[in-house]
Amino acid sequence: MTPFELAEPRTLSEALALLDPNDTSVRALGGGTALMLMMKPGFLKPKRLVSLGKIGDLSAFRLSPDGSLRIGAMTRLAALERSAEVAKAFPVIAHTLRTLSNRRVRNVATIGGHVAHADPHTDLPPVLIALDATIEIAGPAGQRKIPAEALATGYLETSLKSNELVTAIAIPPQGGKRSIYVKVTTRAADDWPALGIAISLDAQDRTVKTARIVVSAATEKPTRLASAEALLNGRQASDASIREAARAAAAEAAIVTDMQGSAAYKRHLLEVHLNRALGGLLGARRGA
Amino acid sequence: MAVTEMQSGQVGRSLPRRESTAKVTGRADYVHNLRLPGMLHIKVFRSSIAHGRIKRLDVSAAKRLAGVHSVITSDDVRKLIPEPYFGPAFHDQPILAIDKVRHIGEPVAVVLATDPHVAEEGVALIQAEYDELPGVYDEVAGATATTYVHDVLKPAGTFPDLKHLQGKKNTNIALDYQLRRGDVEAAFAKADHVFEHTFRTQQVMHVPLEPMVSAAEPTPSGLTIYTASQSPSFVRIEIARLLGWPENKVRVKVPHLGGGFGAKLYIKLEALVAALALITQRPVKLSQTMEEQFFTISKHATTFKIKSGVTKDGKIVARRCDVWWNGGAYADIGPRVTQKSGFTAAGPYDIENVHLDSFAVYTTRPPAGALRGFGIPQLVWAYESHTDLIARALDIDPVAIRRKNILREGRPQATGTKMKDAAIEQVLERLAARMNWDRPFDRGTGTVKRGRGVGIGFKAVIAPTTSVAIVNVYADGSCSLYCSTVDMGQGSDTIMTQIVADVLNLPIERVSMVHPDTDVTPYDMATLGSRSTFHMGNAVKLAAEDAKGKLEALAKEVGLPAGANVPVGEIFKKKYGMQAGNVVGSGSFIPSYKSPDHATGMTDNATPFWMIGGTGAEVEIDTETGDMKVLRIVNVADCGTPINPRIVDTQLSGGAVMQLGFTLTEEMQFENGQLRNPTLADYKIPGMRDMPAAMENEAVSARQHDGPFGAKGVGESATFGVSPAIANAIHDAVGVRLTELPITPERLFRALAVANGKPLKD
Amino acid sequence: MSNTSRLVNFTLNGRPVSARVDMHHTLVEMLRTQFDLFGARESCAQGLCGCCTVLVDGQAVSGCLYFAALVDGATIETVEHLGASDRLDPVQQAFIECGAFQCGFCTPGFILMTKQLLDENPNPTEDEIRHYLSGNLCRCGAYPEIIAAVKSAAAKRRATA
Repeated sequence: MTPFELAEPRTLSEALALLDPNDTSVRALGGGTALMLMMKPGFLKPKRLVSLGKIGDLSAFRLSPDGSLRIGAMTRLAALERSAEVAKAFPVIAHTLRTLSNRRVRNVATIGGHVAHADPHTDLPPVLIALDATIEIAGPAGQRKIPAEALATGYLETSLKSNELVTAIAIPPQGGKRSIYVKVTTRAADDWPALGIAISLDAQDRTVKTARIVVSAATEKPTRLASAEALLNGRQASDASIREAARAAAAEAAIVTDMQGSAAYKRHLLEVHLNRALGGLLGARRGA
Repeated sequence: MAVTEMQSGQVGRSLPRRESTAKVTGRADYVHNLRLPGMLHIKVFRSSIAHGRIKRLDVSAAKRLAGVHSVITSDDVRKLIPEPYFGPAFHDQPILAIDKVRHIGEPVAVVLATDPHVAEEGVALIQAEYDELPGVYDEVAGATATTYVHDVLKPAGTFPDLKHLQGKKNTNIALDYQLRRGDVEAAFAKADHVFEHTFRTQQVMHVPLEPMVSAAEPTPSGLTIYTASQSPSFVRIEIARLLGWPENKVRVKVPHLGGGFGAKLYIKLEALVAALALITQRPVKLSQTMEEQFFTISKHATTFKIKSGVTKDGKIVARRCDVWWNGGAYADIGPRVTQKSGFTAAGPYDIENVHLDSFAVYTTRPPAGALRGFGIPQLVWAYESHTDLIARALDIDPVAIRRKNILREGRPQATGTKMKDAAIEQVLERLAARMNWDRPFDRGTGTVKRGRGVGIGFKAVIAPTTSVAIVNVYADGSCSLYCSTVDMGQGSDTIMTQIVADVLNLPIERVSMVHPDTDVTPYDMATLGSRSTFHMGNAVKLAAEDAKGKLEALAKEVGLPAGANVPVGEIFKKKYGMQAGNVVGSGSFIPSYKSPDHATGMTDNATPFWMIGGTGAEVEIDTETGDMKVLRIVNVADCGTPINPRIVDTQLSGGAVMQLGFTLTEEMQFENGQLRNPTLADYKIPGMRDMPAAMENEAVSARQHDGPFGAKGVGESATFGVSPAIANAIHDAVGVRLTELPITPERLFRALAVANGKPLKD
Repeated sequence: MSNTSRLVNFTLNGRPVSARVDMHHTLVEMLRTQFDLFGARESCAQGLCGCCTVLVDGQAVSGCLYFAALVDGATIETVEHLGASDRLDPVQQAFIECGAFQCGFCTPGFILMTKQLLDENPNPTEDEIRHYLSGNLCRCGAYPEIIAAVKSAAAKRRATA
């Protein structure tokens, strides 16, 4: 790596002032793991890093009495993982974190950095979308909020300007919604996901009110599978309708070929795993 | 583990490794840690193309960078060493590229600085332009291609059987080994059945976790090289040759290795650091990154066409083997892999007629060399998959067909050498027993299927090779072993000192180890190919016996009665009047060997000992996705009588775990000549969650009659059968046959889809 | 003082220390070059192998993916801080007894992670062990022995608790 300046602002406005909308060689520093993975091989040579580590309040997370969860952007993933109350209120988050990278990375990586990096081969973003999370953003013009699915726009690309920062992630109460995250790896067991499926269902027995189904990792960004959702919304699910939804999802998803498999194979995996996941959530018999 | 432990003496006891405390406290010494005063760090500028002539190399900006000490190219090297080519078989590899680059990542220039970050910045400022030449990537195509990686062949003279290749042009074939026994064509014509298959394996890398690293320092008496090397004696000899110096001016020191597996052999970085130390007159160190290792050395990809003539009741009467080895751009030890593995390419089977051609082929890939197994795993992959296919075609049980054909004690194998101290039958039977082969196996109903398979292979050891050892007994009766065998985790320090302790009847604490230092420890061919237990073990035993004999003679000289149990310290006191003096014993060992006939490949003494390893696997397959779980692995080997049973057990499981990676997840992937995955992010080695739920290891009860205390090598034996055992288990489970490694979920699924008449549409 | 380097003050293996580091230096680099602590090693350079494991404020991190400049005010522990000169930590003892290493290069990382695991979860199941240690690689393949060592260490710690 090459020399750079390190700034450690104590307030959010100080941090924002240090970022430049026209200078991408100034970068925000969360946990640093993803950033350093790009700096070490020389893909990124920032001249200044703005650490967010000393800004109070950014690393707190709070579960409210109404069941909503607000997570400061600098919250370490391991802090979420260790929280018994988060595990109780959002078991899908605890489950997802268990196989997200490794323990050392989770001890350091922050949720803000994790989502702002927009690497498609990550586990939490699709889950946040399925849970209908909101991303809170601060910039020189003030605060704004966007739905989680509006953050990533492509491979390592977000809708953030270079002088904006993710400040928090807010997850609404889940009520009785059922959710699941399926992580599919195609190489070693410990790996980035080749395919991720995150589902949240608002359902009564097998009748689905609304479904949120997100595909990730095999696509350039986490993407809602609207055609699959439409086939389930407002209906009682059957083995046949679940199979149809899985087929529609596989046809709709913009799957790419990469080091973890061909598009054709991952498309097939999407269909099989979505079929199984929906079947599991809706208590239907698995398609034979 | 199933072995009887002898309780007398030190040999046969599962003593903890002698360097245990150092390793668990982080204090073990590796060249990775080395710092020398005034040291310059070396960073390497590498070729960005696979094959081409160097048109322009501009190092001026790098030289001007503040903090850069020097930038060195082959022009500078040639002022010191006019012919800077090295290699154990061919002197074909330049220290830095000269006129041409032959593989992606080939070293072209180096930058030296006291700050490694500055050196790295310097490398980024170097510019090169190439006239690109066509690449040659495939071993079969490469054998007949008219794009030649080398303009002329330059055999090193270390192999007598390469002499005829001197000066040969217009070829990519570095070596062609052949074996001719009987008449295969006639036997094929008469056979009831003829089966022919082609199998392929991929290029993989050893990935020692301590990346390759060497340092060199000019000294008043010459040069000292600190290197993570499995072959310190070879390094000394080769560097001395390059410099035109006598051996005694080059000192090579090796502490522990953070893994070797064959990567750290012969010359890797040593010639470069030696040249740079002398050019700059400073200590220099080159510490590779994990990524750089993929451009330095690897394992041969192969294509193996195997054809067998078989009687209707499953007796193999003829076998023809054609094997192409993808040697990459520089031969390294590839020719020896090609030749030695050729001895056993027909398998551990009693076959009258054998025809074998084995080709070492130059291609424009990073070089391939020695990797645990030394070519055998690639061969066993083919012949044990082939054997199972024959069994299935003839509706014969896979273990039964092996029993029918297996080589038995005293029978001649393909080279004509009679099998001796080779417990192949026993390994097969113990494997079958542990796999409960006679009992029914539940293959599952529904979409999840289970299967089981076995594979058994064998290996001849490199021969003839020499090991020398010295035992230095001190005046209080404690002693040191001087030994150039390198402990890279296989436990050699421990077992060699166990041998000394046993012969001299000492507690293990009274025997210490002097690590390889060519100024002190005597010659050893190298730590490779599972040769050390047998060769160095014998040399160590002889050295200890020599010391023992000398102590007895000394006791006699000072008038002590024979057979009196006098403490050794007393003998010295009587001789020297005080606690003083040494008794030094030495031992040297070279086994007998007969080189194969050049035309027929036949010899009646192909190997001082045989290694035998078999593996059984049980797998579970999700047929809807191709996802496979390895439920159980059983490794059974003949390693003679273990000197340290616990260490043997870990060598078996460790070898199998490594081979699991080569079977399921590892592959160097190229696209347009570029290596796409030279890091652990995309080159996946087995982790803890990849381990089968159950793994068992067994060393069968056996004895190598001329091995030290009946022992022989084991480091590679559990690599032989893993891959075919898994492919055979898959075939057992779902009826599809995979003939290429690695077996990924996608490949398995695609094969299933084709078998079901619904191939995956791309 | 230039703004591409700084002085960091921190606690290292129980002692207060300070070091001048460039911003682009990593934690593992600083420990090795300025403090002669070689137990943490850079191998994969991507945080995947665990050879560079260091404890920062009681949490295991990949030292090769941590800026040395950020340890100001922190408590840093390396494998060298484990056990005493005459007595090994039960985790280290268990690793020796179970033969849970071969070349030893990955061993300090495994030992520190094991200690963290047992601090958090004194009686882990085999599945929990495999998941917790999934980010530590051993090319020599000593995984079966390592799992045994973790179980043994857990028992030792429970016995002396």
